[in-house]
Amino acid sequence: MYNAAHASLWKRRLVGVSVLVTSLALLAGCSTGTGSSGSTTITLSMQQTDVKKGDPTTWAIVQAFEKKYPNIKVTVTGQPVAQHNQAIDVAAQSNTLPTMFWLFSADTGKKLNKAGALLDLNPILKDEGLTSSFNKTVLDSFSDGGKQFGVPYQALLTGFYVNKKILADNGLTQPVTFDDLVAVSKALSAKGITTIANGASQSSFSVWAFLTCLDRFGYDDVIKDILAGKASYSNPDFLKFYEALAELQKAGAFSSNVATQTYNQAVDDFANGKAAFLDSGVWASGQLQSSPVGKDTGFWVGPQFSNGVGEQKIVMNVVGAPLAVSASVKKGSPEYAAVEKFIGFYYGDAGQQIFADNGQPPVTTFAPKIASSNTVFQSVLDAAKGLAVPLAQPDQYLSTASQNVMYDSIYGVIEGQLSPQDAVDMVQKSIAANK
Amino acid sequence: MIWLSTRWKIAIMVIPTLLFFTLFVVYPVGYSAYYSLTDFIGFGTPAFVGLANYATLFSDPLFWRSLLNTVVVLVISVVVIIPASFALALLMRRPFRGARMLRALVFAPGIIAPILVGLIWVFILDPKIGLVNQLLTHAGVSSPPIWIGGPTLGPVSIALVFIWSTVGFAMTIFYAGLQLLPGDVIEASSLDGATPFQQTWAITVPMMRETFAITAVLVTTNVFKIFELVYQLTGGGPIHKSETLVSYMYYVTFTSQQYGPGMAFAVIITVLGAIVSVGYLALLRERKDVVA
Repeated sequence: MYNAAHASLWKRRLVGVSVLVTSLALLAGCSTGTGSSGSTTITLSMQQTDVKKGDPTTWAIVQAFEKKYPNIKVTVTGQPVAQHNQAIDVAAQSNTLPTMFWLFSADTGKKLNKAGALLDLNPILKDEGLTSSFNKTVLDSFSDGGKQFGVPYQALLTGFYVNKKILADNGLTQPVTFDDLVAVSKALSAKGITTIANGASQSSFSVWAFLTCLDRFGYDDVIKDILAGKASYSNPDFLKFYEALAELQKAGAFSSNVATQTYNQAVDDFANGKAAFLDSGVWASGQLQSSPVGKDTGFWVGPQFSNGVGEQKIVMNVVGAPLAVSASVKKGSPEYAAVEKFIGFYYGDAGQQIFADNGQPPVTTFAPKIASSNTVFQSVLDAAKGLAVPLAQPDQYLSTASQNVMYDSIYGVIEGQLSPQDAVDMVQKSIAANK
Repeated sequence: MIWLSTRWKIAIMVIPTLLFFTLFVVYPVGYSAYYSLTDFIGFGTPAFVGLANYATLFSDPLFWRSLLNTVVVLVISVVVIIPASFALALLMRRPFRGARMLRALVFAPGIIAPILVGLIWVFILDPKIGLVNQLLTHAGVSSPPIWIGGPTLGPVSIALVFIWSTVGFAMTIFYAGLQLLPGDVIEASSLDGATPFQQTWAITVPMMRETFAITAVLVTTNVFKIFELVYQLTGGGPIHKSETLVSYMYYVTFTSQQYGPGMAFAVIITVLGAIVSVGYLALLRERKDVVA
């Protein structure tokens, strides 16, 4: 005879067992550490949602590393920059940082280092024989209080990609000076062609070429005084830079939807032949090489200013963001050994050659072989040859809050929302408030 | 027979919800309030700074801009959503062919994730590639409005997209409320010669007072929570001119890594939302008491 209470009891037991089994299965799948077969899993968290497409260099390095070390698995995860930064902050608070991760800036790295969240990489660099593979200034950028809290992720070689075909089809030549750029902008704007592809939405940091222009107005010489309160960002030289930006804006150099367009959409516009210039860096060379405009794409380090300050023939070719390792990776553990091997591979000759194969310059002193088909990457390297290099990208001197205000000041003028004076004043106000 | 109305049994039944409420509502609010008084950067040990974060916010022109934008979105949304959704509910109440499908279609935008709503509407409102401006340009308009990415229409566009995604949900609440109205009162008024307008205005609306209040509070609280829509539609731009309170709070807290001011922001938003919602309910109760 059917007993309802008995059936109910067995139903509850079945549900309880199912929940327990499911929980155990989930827990088994979610951990780093050493598996039962002796393999070690480490995590690498990056600033791209699709690392395979958006950061092919890192993806290729991980694949090659896993092939060389089949007992080490690297789980690569990624989110857009803002979400990645937020996730790292939350993870640092809860001691759940990934094994290795990209950091937005040296400033963030120093803060995490002070909070004891990052591993000192000096022993790893020494054990792997890498200390002399870098220029000293490169490692100094990511050290604090004697600790090496980060190692360079990729080079920050920035400027404008140029669609030479658009220029040629319109009877124009590649600009050299700022006045040349204004003339090109007016000519292209009259024909409804976007001169410079930029995208401010969710990517306010995408003003690399214009940050370098600040260095053409003496930024490197005065920034330390500005930060010490002995000078002001709101000065006549920087004002000239922003006035130049305003002149470009009036000449119609920028797309009418620069405020609502993302950086990736700007890249797509350029890659599909809809813009003559793209404000970007060497990391985009691989993507552009395989685009419809690959064969027509060159590189330009940016305009020289007749009213500039100091050396005008400069190129931004510095180290960008660091990679860091969580302090929870203990020396002697399988994860530490795996991280050591990964860093050794990443900065070794094999890893750095992968950089070059994917259109990235090495971050060590390694001299790579570059395939002749990699014309876009070669044009970047050719454009940068022999030029003076600033100490760092201008935003790297500032706190995160002031970096964002600096980006806003540039895009504000580009979008026609800020006057040059308001732009310099707002950056000065932020620097003074965020010392 | 087992009596459940003893105090300790009632307490036992309430405790799980109370625990959940404490853990997921009271604790985060308290946590935010604590860190709003510090120089917290997201990790590490913060130092106490008193009300400095609040002073920083109140002296930030972009805070006031985001508050103004939120008020603009709130006013437009409440003024449009409440009457429009009520009117739609009255319409849907009539029996006609396809009423059920039409109800589902009107409700459909409410189930699309806000981030996707923002993404869809970028391709409609973008000043260069958007459908609206492309149609206007084809129609001969030489300078179409800058719906998003411009200095003034951003909040209005956010409000319109919010209305599009919310009116169906509000209509459903009103529809449910209309279904529960006693039919004999309406019938009696018909016998007395009342017109449909008189029935609606003098009988239906007063009897639906609680539903109007609940809908207004829901719309208000949802406006205060707008984030993904702004993030995807305008990015808060140009240069934060279309930020709402929550989207600017996100920028201050996570993008600029200023967790102390960000938490202060969260406390301010909580207080503002509570004042508006409770204030509206109190006003309604006062009117109800006066009528009674």
